[in-house]
Amino acid sequence: MNNKEKLEGIKCKKCFYLQHISHLRCLKCKNDTFDTVEAKGDCILLTYTILHAPPMEFRDKKYYILGVVQFENGMKALGQIWPKENLIIGMKLKPIYEKVCNDLDGNEVNAYVFK
Amino acid sequence: MREVAIIGVGHTKFGRLNDKSLLDLLCEASLEAIEDSNTSNTDFDSVYVASMLAETLNHMTGVASALVDRIGLLPAAADHIKNGPASGGSAIKNAFYAIASGACELVLVSGAEKMTHITLPGGVTSAVATMTHHNAERIHGASLPSFAGLLTRSYMEKYNVPKEWITSIAVKNHRNGLNNPYAHFQKEITLKKAMESPIIADPLQLYDICPISDGAAAIVMCDANIAKKYCDSPILITGVGQATDTHIIYEREDLTVLNALRICSKQAYDMAKKTPNDIDVFEAHDAFTILEAIQSEDIGFFKKGEGAKAAHEGLTEIGGKIPINPSGGLKARGHPLGATGVAQVIELVWQLRGEAGKRQVADADTGITCNFGGFGNNIVSILVERM
Repeated sequence: MNNKEKLEGIKCKKCFYLQHISHLRCLKCKNDTFDTVEAKGDCILLTYTILHAPPMEFRDKKYYILGVVQFENGMKALGQIWPKENLIIGMKLKPIYEKVCNDLDGNEVNAYVFK
Repeated sequence: MREVAIIGVGHTKFGRLNDKSLLDLLCEASLEAIEDSNTSNTDFDSVYVASMLAETLNHMTGVASALVDRIGLLPAAADHIKNGPASGGSAIKNAFYAIASGACELVLVSGAEKMTHITLPGGVTSAVATMTHHNAERIHGASLPSFAGLLTRSYMEKYNVPKEWITSIAVKNHRNGLNNPYAHFQKEITLKKAMESPIIADPLQLYDICPISDGAAAIVMCDANIAKKYCDSPILITGVGQATDTHIIYEREDLTVLNALRICSKQAYDMAKKTPNDIDVFEAHDAFTILEAIQSEDIGFFKKGEGAKAAHEGLTEIGGKIPINPSGGLKARGHPLGATGVAQVIELVWQLRGEAGKRQVADADTGITCNFGGFGNNIVSILVERM
């Protein structure tokens, strides 16, 4: 586990649409050249759910909280929310890179969580 | 394009069917549809089989080839259509275009899933969650119920909707399912009981979520010009639509808008030269109660943010402004994934034939479906009318 991994998106060089790094062409204009954009600073909580029926990989947890957050530059992300109480839509959170589960082959899976 | 008619339907009981395999279920529904359409001695041009998880849950590939062999339809063309929970709708769409184009005259569509034998905790949830985006969603522990929870909270916040209004949809669908002999659940529930049920994906509770089910549904479709040769009351498919939306749900501008449904239902309305005002009955894809509320808005029956309120006020009851899910929907009829899109159309066929018994919508002439794939990223809509 470390905190050196970056939380990145890509911005279309033609229309400047910001999207997830997995896209090979722009969702809005089909252009295929991008600038990498890094999420910086705090983010705010847009919505969340407390999941009591996890998929198999997460069955070691009785429940966990998933949320969608948005950074100041507009980038959004989904991830686990680690405060368990007093969650409020619009509250500020910080991204931290942590272990979230072991996959079905037993490998450690790390990802950003929001504290 | 040629007009396309439905001339026969077949529907197994939905539920926990321990003594039947996936192929047994497909055969049962298919033979019933063939008998209902009086095509027992007729050659079929093509067969489309809808099943989402045959390989994963039943260790079976080549399911369409196996079906045509088992029920004596050789040498009909046979295809296996997999489009998540919208596989049934996709299969009907493909059959529609095969006939409308003139390539085929007589086609069988059969959808099924066999799920309830999976007893590993989280097993079916994990299999279904393979539809989600791996890096952006799945590795974080996302599942379809979690998306429904995120969506429900967003909707309640944005439109100031109490949870009771959303959960009233489950109460209505259980009441309708009581009169559907094929339904997984034929029992009423009270709003109090539903609101006291365990939290699954907060704020969604147990009774906001459809069950996993075994079951199959099949229809026989043909060139409308020859439909009356086989059947006295053919039902026309006059509109079909299909559209996609972002794979990652948070990349949608507004989580509470189903853009794929807006687009595919417009395609279906335009093809049929109809508007939402012409629709008498709607079969929604209520895998989660919130979805029926939002679908009723984006398919054109209610303003944005008013779908749950409309359900709470009784406007979607049988006899209401627009009856939704007289079958009981996925909540009560059950949700054998590949069968659902076909079962939705069968309910409309029964409604338009006037054969829906105690759940009959009076004077139903026109109906529409929403078959919801992924989490709204691939949606099919089918519009049917009396001939």
